[in-house]
Amino acid sequence: MPALPKAMVWDVIKTGMSARAEVKTPPRFKAGDRVVARNVNPVHHTRMPRYIRGKEGVIRSHHGGFAFADTRAHGEGDHPHHVYSVRFEARELWGAEASPRDAVYIDLWEPYIEPAK
Amino acid sequence: MNSIHDLGGMHGFGPVLREKDEPVFHADWERRTFSVVNLAMGAAQIHVDEIRHAIEKMPPAEYLVSPYYEHWIYGMEALLMAKGLVTREELDRRIAEIAKREAK
Repeated sequence: MPALPKAMVWDVIKTGMSARAEVKTPPRFKAGDRVVARNVNPVHHTRMPRYIRGKEGVIRSHHGGFAFADTRAHGEGDHPHHVYSVRFEARELWGAEASPRDAVYIDLWEPYIEPAK
Repeated sequence: MNSIHDLGGMHGFGPVLREKDEPVFHADWERRTFSVVNLAMGAAQIHVDEIRHAIEKMPPAEYLVSPYYEHWIYGMEALLMAKGLVTREELDRRIAEIAKREAK
């Protein structure tokens, strides 16, 4: 079984292991694009919270590529995808009684979102 | 996975309490858990995403009444057992040994 060499332990604990990775395909979205979080209920691991599914948001920025937690959690490989910061208005998430000034920014991998209609 | 870990938007948990001068660890067992789990992840080549998923699979009632670092222990035990590195019997035996020693 491969194991972390003793000499590397301190660096790993101190810095954490970055999941940043190169993605071969260009980013599908850019800042300002309107997107919808997919309405899915996977039984596997996902970093997409339930309360944004089916909700519309706006791309704020592109973070770059990162290993995909949904596959890595199951030993299925890194499969890196682009990650974006997406802004969701509180009123979109919680309804008309929510504050018009509040919003949530959530980092989402590209497979979690699709263009808004 | 739609499990109890995904608490966003739920009511009834009260406010988030901010602790003044919050220490990194609140007890020595938390400090040891941090070290042991990180080193076990390195030794067994376990990704953080794997342990997060193992924690999501905790029984929901147990999840809500146990502290943060107990979730780490639960997740690591579940993964080590799933990977065949430790058996339930070995864990139970060791826990019983320590309990006996500490009871003295």
